[in-house]
Amino acid sequence: MINSTKISLRQFTILTMFYTIGTTILVIPSSLAADAKQNAWLAAAVGWLIGLLIVYLYISLGKLFPELTLFGFLERTLGKWFGKLVSLAFIFFFFTGAASVLYYMGNFMTTQVMPETPLGAFVLLFGGLVVMGLRLGLEVLARTSEILFPWFLILFTVSTLFVSPEIDLEKIKPILDVGMKPTLKAALSFLGTASLPLVAFLMFFPANLNHTKGAGKAFFVGTLLGGIAIIIVTFMSISVLGADFTARNMYPSYALAKKINIANFIQRVEILMAGMWFMSIFFKTTFYAYGFITGIAQLCGCKDYRPLVLPCGMIFISYSMIIYPNVVYMMDFDSTVYIPYVITVCLLLPLLLYATGLMRKRMEQKPSASE
Amino acid sequence: MDNNMPQAEPIKVKLQPNIDKIRKDLGNSDDIVIREIAFGVARAAIIYTDGLADKKMITDFILETPDQTTERDNLLEALKELAQKLGDYKEITNFQEIYSSILSGGTVLLLDGCSRGVSASTQGWKDRSISEPISQVVVRGPQEGFTETLRTNTSMIRRKIKNPNLWVETRQIGKVTKTDVAIMYINGIVNGKVVKEVRKRLDKINIDGILESGYIEELIQDETYSPFPTVNNSERPDSVAAALLEGRVAILVDGTPFVLIVPTLFISFFQTAEDYYQRADISTLLRMIRFISLFIAMVGPALYIGITTFHQELLPTQLLISLAAQREGVPFPAFIEALLMEITFEILREAGIRMPRPIGQAVSIVGTLVIGQAAVEAGIVSASMVIVVAITAISSFVITGYSMAISVRMLRFVIMGLAAAFGVFGIVVALIALVMHLCSLRSFGVPYMSPFAPFIPDDHKDTIFRLPHWAMTSRPRLISQRNIIREQMSRPAKPQK
Repeated sequence: MINSTKISLRQFTILTMFYTIGTTILVIPSSLAADAKQNAWLAAAVGWLIGLLIVYLYISLGKLFPELTLFGFLERTLGKWFGKLVSLAFIFFFFTGAASVLYYMGNFMTTQVMPETPLGAFVLLFGGLVVMGLRLGLEVLARTSEILFPWFLILFTVSTLFVSPEIDLEKIKPILDVGMKPTLKAALSFLGTASLPLVAFLMFFPANLNHTKGAGKAFFVGTLLGGIAIIIVTFMSISVLGADFTARNMYPSYALAKKINIANFIQRVEILMAGMWFMSIFFKTTFYAYGFITGIAQLCGCKDYRPLVLPCGMIFISYSMIIYPNVVYMMDFDSTVYIPYVITVCLLLPLLLYATGLMRKRMEQKPSASE
Repeated sequence: MDNNMPQAEPIKVKLQPNIDKIRKDLGNSDDIVIREIAFGVARAAIIYTDGLADKKMITDFILETPDQTTERDNLLEALKELAQKLGDYKEITNFQEIYSSILSGGTVLLLDGCSRGVSASTQGWKDRSISEPISQVVVRGPQEGFTETLRTNTSMIRRKIKNPNLWVETRQIGKVTKTDVAIMYINGIVNGKVVKEVRKRLDKINIDGILESGYIEELIQDETYSPFPTVNNSERPDSVAAALLEGRVAILVDGTPFVLIVPTLFISFFQTAEDYYQRADISTLLRMIRFISLFIAMVGPALYIGITTFHQELLPTQLLISLAAQREGVPFPAFIEALLMEITFEILREAGIRMPRPIGQAVSIVGTLVIGQAAVEAGIVSASMVIVVAITAISSFVITGYSMAISVRMLRFVIMGLAAAFGVFGIVVALIALVMHLCSLRSFGVPYMSPFAPFIPDDHKDTIFRLPHWAMTSRPRLISQRNIIREQMSRPAKPQK
């Protein structure tokens, strides 16, 4: 079943965009502003450019063996047992990723919107939605993204447009005042949340796309669009709320949406704007979980991952409730442990894989050429 | 009648045992008429069902009997010749054929000393004349609707599409009722795979009776556990003809004016016949209003509950104060209040449909005055809640496909529950789940949400927008997969300058 599913390039582009935006849109302005101050949006742009390079790496990796998913690739290049061992690293990354994104979602709701409702309620409802999506399969998720995309676009445009009168360019000055090091550090945190997790898409890129040709372009365009959206939001946060307030606020985009004012009549519509984050976070969680569950399925040699969705879903939903004991821990983890971790799994490991894959391909081609 | 009875028993030579057997098999039913007459030198029996067969035709036939000179061996030929005057005839040899002929309005002629008979088609029962369709009314457009008779219905479609490629296949479904079910399609436009699939699914049906096309719909639809209908139905010949022209398959069932149309997309329930008869810009506007109505009908009360319970900051201050003042004396939380009103309204609506027509007036008076005004004055519900319920109800009437409108009614309660617990978050989760479910549906192999997902730009000429006819050059891509060109690109004729 898995390999017969095909999604179109347009759908893949939209998925990539949603995934890039994911939780990033909600939290990144804060961590960017913490390091790069008023130049946070520049740091986002730097991160975005480096992110395109990383996507290039993933595309090259995917194109080495276009018919294989990431785990198939691992077994092909590293051998059955060693490949499975390495795939554990990815599975664990996806697992913690899915759980932490769910936690973000629940934490956002309990701290900002409905403080009296327990975190578990949100996590369970949202996790249930993710489980439902995974059971319906990749094709349905891709189509869903196509339908939700215009709605996302409308909400994004409305929120950006109606906050724009509040822009105060003084707040982003002086430009280029912050040094190289903080900017790079901020860019790294951008990469860590927006670009590097895209490794999860290697689970079906380009094996489940209907055209291999143009697949790379679709991947690029998706990250490009997603990155632009994040840069815009970061810029708005800094220029409307100011660097200091952005850095101190956990969810600056939400604070930004509170500033929306249409004709002095429609105000405080932030919860409707939150609809777009629910969508993007949904896709982010779903594809982390997709990586996790298909990984387990391939590890165990299951033909279809669907029977595993419910049990695995239970595991990551319950794990999301204990993954961070509290918000302080989460912020500390995100700024100290997470970045080296994500770089190891999503950058160094793929680089090594690419090198071995290239060698393996040469070795395979040589005998066939001499025949 | 027992199904397992060996009915294929051949007709005997002697007349009397045949008549006895028919009497016995049909339980001496009073409406089965067996008249014995002298037919030339031999005796013959005329058998028909009173009320189904046209008596006048039969009487005319009896008057003409061959003279005594005709030889015994030629009598069957003479019989056939006479039967030919009545219309189509068929030579029959066994009891199975006798029964199927007389029970569907034919007349069977048996001859003494001959083991073969003749069945003539003398169908002539009382049926409803063609009248205006009740469920799909238009201001402009044909005012005729299907009737309960299959032949009338097929002829109404044929009158619209005079093309040799309009093909009809008929089969009998239902072990006991033997209901005629016809498949209609335009060969060359239709997707052959869909026709094959329809045939396959119809042949799989093994049920005792089909009384309405709803039986067939439920037995052939792709997904049973879904609130959304994946088979459309129509009472209008022009809608069915348009569907056939798009490459769909129509399934007509004898005994009901509702014709099934497959494959059906989500968007089909928002397109009406009239959209194509009036100006394109107005149709587009009306389509958009329908989509807005869908949204209101589905999440209207849920939004009200969510906002008044969790997100009061969303409301402008003035409105909030007036709402709070209204709700001051109301003893229930918003969700219970909404639930009360919605259920009351659903009861009223159901009563309005099932009531004998003269009492309908009384129901509406009770509904508006007692439930609406008195409930507000008594302080049980707030006036704003009544407004929300009313606008929701009106919106759900706007959705043109009745089967879609009832699904929306049902889903509304689920979304209301989620909104009561989670506010807007719950509504968004419900909507994402709904979209996912819709995207997973298929109708005879065609994705239900196309052309939105998968997105097909060309097919958007007839979805939210209804472009002028000269711009709708192609048929829906996934429905008619072979022959998609509807017309050559042609601008309308303009006056010469």
